[in-house]
Formats: sequence, C-alpha cells, structure tokens
Amino acid sequence: MKKEETVKLISAEGFEFVISMEAAMVSQTIRNMLTSPGSFAEREHGEVTFPEISTTILEKICQYFYWSLQFAKGKETEFHIEPELTLELMMAANYLHT
Amino acid sequence: MAKRGGMKAEKRNLVHLCIEAASESTETVEIWRRQRRTLEKMPPELAEALLRRLLRRRLVSPSLLEVFQHCIEEIDLKHENCVDAEWMAYLGAFRCLRSLNIADCRAINNSALWAITGMDTLKELDLSRCVKVTDVGIKHLLSIPNLEKLSVSETGVTGDGVSWLSSLKKLSKLDLGGIPVTDMALRSLQVLTKLEYLDLWGSKISNKVAAVLKKFPNLSFLNLAWTDVTTLPTLPSLTYLNMSNCTINSISGGDCGVKAPLKQLRVPGATFIDVHEVFSYIEASQLSFLDLSNSSLHNFQFLAHMDSLTHLNVSFSKIKDESIELIAHVGANLRNLNLSNTKVSSLGIGSLAGMVPNLEILSLSHTLVDDVALSYISTMPALRVLDLSNTNIKGFTYQIGHEQDEAFSLTALQSLNHLERLDLEGTHVKDEALQPLSGLQQLNTLSLKSDFITDMSLHAFSSLPKLRYLGIRGAVLTNAGLYLFNPPPMLETLDLRGCWLLTEDTISLFHENHPRIKVRHEFAQICSISENKCDRSSPQQGTPRTSQLKPKGKASSAPSVFRKEGFVDERLKYRREELLELRSAPLSLVSPHDCGVVLPKTLIE
Repeated sequence: MKKEETVKLISAEGFEFVISMEAAMVSQTIRNMLTSPGSFAEREHGEVTFPEISTTILEKICQYFYWSLQFAKGKETEFHIEPELTLELMMAANYLHT
Repeated sequence: MAKRGGMKAEKRNLVHLCIEAASESTETVEIWRRQRRTLEKMPPELAEALLRRLLRRRLVSPSLLEVFQHCIEEIDLKHENCVDAEWMAYLGAFRCLRSLNIADCRAINNSALWAITGMDTLKELDLSRCVKVTDVGIKHLLSIPNLEKLSVSETGVTGDGVSWLSSLKKLSKLDLGGIPVTDMALRSLQVLTKLEYLDLWGSKISNKVAAVLKKFPNLSFLNLAWTDVTTLPTLPSLTYLNMSNCTINSISGGDCGVKAPLKQLRVPGATFIDVHEVFSYIEASQLSFLDLSNSSLHNFQFLAHMDSLTHLNVSFSKIKDESIELIAHVGANLRNLNLSNTKVSSLGIGSLAGMVPNLEILSLSHTLVDDVALSYISTMPALRVLDLSNTNIKGFTYQIGHEQDEAFSLTALQSLNHLERLDLEGTHVKDEALQPLSGLQQLNTLSLKSDFITDMSLHAFSSLPKLRYLGIRGAVLTNAGLYLFNPPPMLETLDLRGCWLLTEDTISLFHENHPRIKVRHEFAQICSISENKCDRSSPQQGTPRTSQLKPKGKASSAPSVFRKEGFVDERLKYRREELLELRSAPLSLVSPHDCGVVLPKTLIE
C-alpha cells in the first residue's frame, strides 16, 4: 500500500496504528480532520493523535473500521466487544462519529 | 426491537454495538459497573441511551442507578411499575437531573416523593396517573425551586394541593388534567405569570373564574375539555385551545375588536350556542388545525377565509355535500381532511377535485362515496393515506350509455405517486377490480376485508415492492392459494383473520417458510400459545434476546417467530368470555398487568 493511501492513528500512550485511508474514513470525525481545510497538520502528514483514547481502545476501533467495511460489503459477521471495554469504546465511538 | 432488519446502518454503528454489548446480561453489567471514573465523565446523551437500553432489557436495579448519578440529565421511567421509594432514593442523589418522568408508576406514593425534595437541578417532573400521590405529596414538591414543568394529571391531588403550587414561581407548564381543580384553587395560581401551558380538562372550574386566565400573559396552550366553562375572555397569546365536550358561548370576548389568534382549535363533541358568533371573534386566517368532530353543526359557512387550514376534522358531524365546497375554497394548504362517518357522497368529493393540491391524508370511511369519487381523488397529487373503508366502492364504473362497458375504477389511483396506505375494508370490490392496485409502487399498507376476495388477489399483491402490511380479512383464501403465495419482499405482517377456509397446518407451514412474516389468523394464535407460555415463565431472566434479533433465515428458527417479533398477543392470556368483557374495557386497564408486554400498534387501534 502506498503511503498516501494510509493514515497513522496515535493513541494516548503514543502507540501508532497504520491503517488504510478507506478504513479510517468510516469515522466521520477522522474524515473531517483529513479533508477539512483547517486541519493542516493532519492532512499533510496523514497522522491523527488522540490524547483521550487509550491503546487498547484505539486498537479495537481500528478492528471495527475494517469490520464495518466488510459489513457494508455484505459480510455480516458479529463484532465482538468485551464487556470491560464497552464504556470506553462507546465514548470513543461517540467522539469519532462512527 | 420490533424494527429489526432494514436498520443496517444502525446495526453497524459502533455506539449502538457498545450499548448492545453492555446490556447483554447481568454478568456484563457487573463487569463494567465498577468503572466509576469512566461513568462519571460519560456524556449525558450516551449515559441516557445506555440506561434506556438497560431499562428495556430489565437489567436495572435501584442500586445500579447509583453509577449513573453523575451523568444523567433526563430519565424516562414512564410505565415502569417497579419504580418505588427505593428507586426514588437513588434518583434523589442524581447530581444533574433536569427531567424526571415517572408517569404511570403505580408504586409511587407521597413518601416516595420525599426523596426528591430540594433538588435544585430538577426542572421537569411528570407524575401523571401516579394515583397514590395526594396533596401531601405536593408539599414535598414545593421545595424544588426551579421546577418549570409539572404534570400531576389524574393523581389524587385536590384543589388544596393545587393552590399550594402557587409558590413554584418558575412554572411555565402545568398539567392539572382530571383532578378536581376548583375556582378558588385556580384563583390562587394567578401569581404564576410565567405560565404558558395549562391543562385543566375535567376540572370543576366555572365561568366565574375564566377571567383569571387573563392574568397569565404568556398563556399559549389551554385545555378546558369536559368543564362547565362556556365563555372565555380574549387571551391575546393563546394559540392552542381545547374545549371538547363543552358548551361554547364565546371563545373570545370580542372586546375592542381584538380577535383570538388561535392556531389550533379542538372542539369535538362541543355544543355551540351560536357557532357563527363564536367564529366571528376568531382570527380565521390564523387557524391551521380545526377539529369539529361529533358536533351537531349543519351550517359550515364560518369555514370561509380559513386560508391557513392544514387539518380539518368534521367526522361524525352533520356536514353534507353542499358544505364541501366551502372546504374546497380554503383547500390550498389542507393536508389532512377527515370526513368519515358523515353523509358526504361522491358529489361532494367532486367539488374538492383540483382544489386540494397538498392533501396528504383523506378519510372517507363510512360515507356514501362510490366509484365516481375515485376519479376526483386521483386529482389529489400529494395523497399518502386514503381510507375508503365501508363505503359504496365496487371497483368498477359503467361508461354512460354503454352498460356492458365496465371500467375498473381503482385504476384512477395509479396516478397517485405518493400513496402509501390504502384501506378498502368492508367494500364490495372483487378480485378483477383489485388488479390495478398491483401498480401502486409506494404502497406499504393495504387493508381489505370482504368475502368476495379469493386467492387471485393474494397473488396480485406479490409484486408490490414496498408493501409491509397486507390485510385480506374474511376472504375465501384457500390452503393451496396461501401455499403458493410469494410474499412481497418487504412484507412484515399478513393479516388473514376471518379467512375461514385456511387450516392450522397451512398457517404453520407458512410460518416455517416465511419466519420473518407475522401472520394474524385465528389458528396462528393456537400455534404459538405454547411458545408464549415458556417465554413468559422467565421474564426476569435476561434471555439472550440479541441473538434472537439476528435474522437466521433457517427453517429451524421458524417456531419462535412470535417471540422474535418482540410482542405477545394479549388475547392469548384470556378465555373467550374474558376477552369479550375486555373488549369494552379501556386498554389502559388491561396493559399494566405486565409492563414487559408490548402490543402491536395495529392491535391497539
């Protein structure tokens, strides 16, 4: 995958997740960050930092992005969420509009 | 729950998935409830969505409420019979609770209200039909300083309790419906100058106190239904007035030529002393909603100049064809017209032709209209809902002079590109005449009831792409016909009640072949009784409903079709004799027996 087609998402602890642009666009918030004229840094480097989202949650979010793409294509599998992650994941999802 | 399927986008939404996962079972709740710090900073709308889901899944215990005390601003516990003093004790500790709805919570009594005394965040409180709440309970409310909206309708509160409410100076909405408010009590409320909404239906107030209403300069909503009030002064800010079942002498004093700027007037069942005088003091051009049903009016001249009218209900009135022309003249904005149970015939509908370009809903049920009306109706391009039940519609017209030349009159409806609901129950339409309906692409609800209809019609409707409800009641459908029926793709409900030729085996076979479709038939209930029993035996247990929600599409899941739909037919619990008794009783008395049971909408209607 070319670098232009990927996005780097950085968690509160500094872990970096490199995912495809298409997957990241599942989140309305990230889509806005990467396309709106105001957010120069994000657009230029293809990097978004989330100081409020922990690594565990961000990893789960990335899994969700890919699952969501599959789901939209008709592959209706179940997306399992561990009970202990539900609350924080919910808040992160709310922030990311996904 | 009932709306499963179709909501693909929602099913994919991660917030939604998290809420589902968090309210999976009592075990899952036990895992996340210890994450207090996360709960504390949760945005209110998320916390509220989670709590709503938990309530619906019956996973909320009073002590679980404690974890939500920092993040909930609004809570709706309407109809939750379990809500009692213990729940209230926890709710009283909520830090930012702004709105509390405990209407129809029958366990709430005066002492339970003590827990919310002094809550200065609380602005809205609904205690409707908490029958154990009396004047003593009102005393507890007086210490809630910022209360703006309060409903105590149909509680045990009396005139005394109402008069104490005068100390809640910030009240803008007050619902006192169905309690014996006296003239004296209302007089003591005149200090509440912020009042915008006042509901006094069924109270004991009289004309003497009507002048007090002038003391509320912001009053825009007033309900005086079922009272002895006959004369109202001019209330300059009033836009909504309900005086149903009152005797009306005057709605506006007519002083200084000021006319009442009403937008909505609901006067079903009212008696007018002089209807033309009453309406002469109302600003006709402002009125958009007028309900005159069940009135004994003959002359409708006052409708002239009501150019803003969007809703008009004259059902069960004495309106005749001649008056329909008056409606046509003000029909430009009309969206909803109810002429049911009147003596209106096709002739009257003729005068509406081309005059009601925005009409969306038209009810002609139990009128004298026949097939001629259909061609007039076809000139109403915006029509979405059309009720022609119990009329003289036959489905064909004879060309004048050519007795043999039959033309199918329902063909006229094909020009209505927005038609979603069509009711032809109790008409004499036969199979061939129904064929034109198969061209109605937007139709989602079709109701038929006639003993002239056979298998032929059933198959004709297979091709309707958006049909969700199909009712063919009392028809001569056969087992073979139902077996060969290929349901439309979106069909959710097939109502076959009274189709006496169908056997139990055929109905259950249809279940198996089409597990997503809910069938209503006398035998369909018998098939499902056993399942419903086992479903009800474990109401507390968090049955894994989420797994049921996923369409499996396998024949093996067919027997649980009724449980999957998320409702239990109330009729199953009763014997026939009991049912007949219940039929005359209001539904509100029936349903509270088990609040987990939700009747399908069509059954309630």
